[in-house]
Amino acid sequence: MKQMDFNRRLFLQGLAATAGGVAAAGIAPAKAAGPTIRLWSAPIMRPFPTWEPFEQQAGITIAWSPKSASADEALSKMMVGDGKKLYDAFTDNGGGMEDAMAENGVIAELDTSRMKNWGLLRDEVRDPNGAAAHSIRYNDKIFAVPYIANADSLAYNKTVLGQDYDSWAPLFDPEFKGKVAMQNDFGPTMTVTAIYLHESGQMNIKDRSNMTKDEVQGVAEYLIEKKKGGQFRTFWNGFQQGVDLLASGEVVMMSCWEPIQRVAAGKASQDIVYGTMKEGHQVWNNVVMLTKDAAKRGVDEAFYKLADTCLSPWYTTRQLSRFGFASLTTGMVDYLEAHPADFNVADLKATLKSKEQRYAVKGNAWQNVYPKELRAYQEWWSRVQAA
Amino acid sequence: MSGPTDSGGAAPQRRTLWQAIVDDHGPGRLVLWIPLVFMVVFFLIPLALTLVWSVFERTMFWMEPGFTLAAYQDFFGSGRIDSFLGSVKSAAVTVGVAFVLGFPIAVFVRRSVPAHAQHQAVLLFILPFMISEVIRLFALRPVLGRNGIVNDLLMSIGVVDEPVSALLFTPTSVVIGEVLSFLPFMVFCGFLAMEAVPDYVFELCDDIGSGLAVTLRRVIIPLAAPGIVAAAIFIFVNSLGLFLVPDLLGGPGAANAGTLVVNAIAALDFPLAMAIAAIMVAMMVVLLLIGHWLFDLTKLLEPFR
Repeated sequence: MKQMDFNRRLFLQGLAATAGGVAAAGIAPAKAAGPTIRLWSAPIMRPFPTWEPFEQQAGITIAWSPKSASADEALSKMMVGDGKKLYDAFTDNGGGMEDAMAENGVIAELDTSRMKNWGLLRDEVRDPNGAAAHSIRYNDKIFAVPYIANADSLAYNKTVLGQDYDSWAPLFDPEFKGKVAMQNDFGPTMTVTAIYLHESGQMNIKDRSNMTKDEVQGVAEYLIEKKKGGQFRTFWNGFQQGVDLLASGEVVMMSCWEPIQRVAAGKASQDIVYGTMKEGHQVWNNVVMLTKDAAKRGVDEAFYKLADTCLSPWYTTRQLSRFGFASLTTGMVDYLEAHPADFNVADLKATLKSKEQRYAVKGNAWQNVYPKELRAYQEWWSRVQAA
Repeated sequence: MSGPTDSGGAAPQRRTLWQAIVDDHGPGRLVLWIPLVFMVVFFLIPLALTLVWSVFERTMFWMEPGFTLAAYQDFFGSGRIDSFLGSVKSAAVTVGVAFVLGFPIAVFVRRSVPAHAQHQAVLLFILPFMISEVIRLFALRPVLGRNGIVNDLLMSIGVVDEPVSALLFTPTSVVIGEVLSFLPFMVFCGFLAMEAVPDYVFELCDDIGSGLAVTLRRVIIPLAAPGIVAAAIFIFVNSLGLFLVPDLLGGPGAANAGTLVVNAIAALDFPLAMAIAAIMVAMMVVLLLIGHWLFDLTKLLEPFR
């Protein structure tokens, strides 16, 4: 009998302790005050181990769901699925995605006067006639806020190669046959090849971001010829694979995202450099968008706080420091200099400078998620894959 | 306190209720319909929709009802058919390699491992499945790569002077990956088929002094044929569909049927994705029919007579 009492008491104590723990755990997230926003975004939006620093900075609470980088996921979830009910805001590529979302009534038009950092945006996006103006607009109205950007380039292993490169030419040069790689995605790979072919005078391509059927064919046939000649070791898929290829020495140069180069250089402890290509780069931004349903429910207040924080130097410098991504905003250098304790200022300023150099190249082409001849891109990419 | 409580009339009442449920005419009989309903709702209807959607008109982001063979034209008129046929070839090679490596294991376990330990021995082949597919395949890269373990070994014993690059990012590595993924199925199915062969068959072969090769060719393989065919079809069809293998181990842009479907969905070409899926299903049905016609696959589940 006594033993049973004892057990019951112990059990009740345990129960109380557990309940207390649960309650405490339940209370904990509430310390980040402010309205809650349900955010569906790529993990790279968060340059911190948790969302807490961002929440405190923005004065909102974020209920986060991770999202992949593939465009089809957002389209199928937001247009066909129930994404509009599940999320208040979400991220994707600018330069096409916001058109598709706005055209289908998924996202709300934005009031830029509600973001005090809007003025920090560079003219190329803020000015309606800027080179990147289209990447946040649909029918001349603003529907998206850019939070990261970059000009993608060539990473090369200087330790192995012993020299610097400023051209895409070696990527296609038989000298490096079987020791180079490109991305397994027709968008960046065909655009970069088009930039190289056009700028080196081998082909005349009017708009490298929006090629005609014949131009797509020409670029694809060039890639097929190179592939058949054994030029490419492989085409990489995803971040980890890219890092693995570069760091293991499987390839000595590769067109890739900047974070891949940064992580690979650290992992291999080698001088793997992200170059500036004289022909040009594919330039892109990722944007955050507000769903129409959320705007109607009054979550727009929280959204503007979130977007404004993304535009602030507090956020953009941390993105730069953690992932090496650029921002389409100004004011980063001043912020870095004012906060020397938080950053490796010299290193980040050098990174920023090399970004400026890449952005300044005339032959750059903006990413276009939905080129007019999308089907031709797909058809010809399938031939490249099968070659 | 510890004995069962006298529940009086409650127990018989419960039994009656239970009996009522499991009675031939009670609601319990509906339980048998659950698997059927499940298969209809989650297998047959989606399969039918796959066919229907494959002939729909593609729109920018989705599709609309109609009838067009454009998706099939897209498939046969582009590089996709070449990728598809390439993956058919590597799947066929995979089946061959899996047979050569896996079937002898099944025969060995059945003939030479003591009866009580046979199932444990076969279970050992489940162990690799405890590790996720992605990790198993990814782990092959440091093994097969230019600076990998295999190349290190070959170079240190002087077989080659410079690293062999054909081991990774080639059709060879795709086959290695597929064999790694599916070999256990050849062992399981081969063992299952061999289990139905009674010992006296082996003893008879020994008695009449038939050699190993003859026994294998004229006795063991014919008897195990249904199991081998079932494993072969399973391995073949899954090799076509497992897009992780060409993704992680294949050469530049390597694609199998699974990759083609994933790419089509990524490009929001749903009718094309459905058409490729429909072609794969048709292929599987034809293979099953041929296999059944030649070897009567139902024998796999029957004891030896």
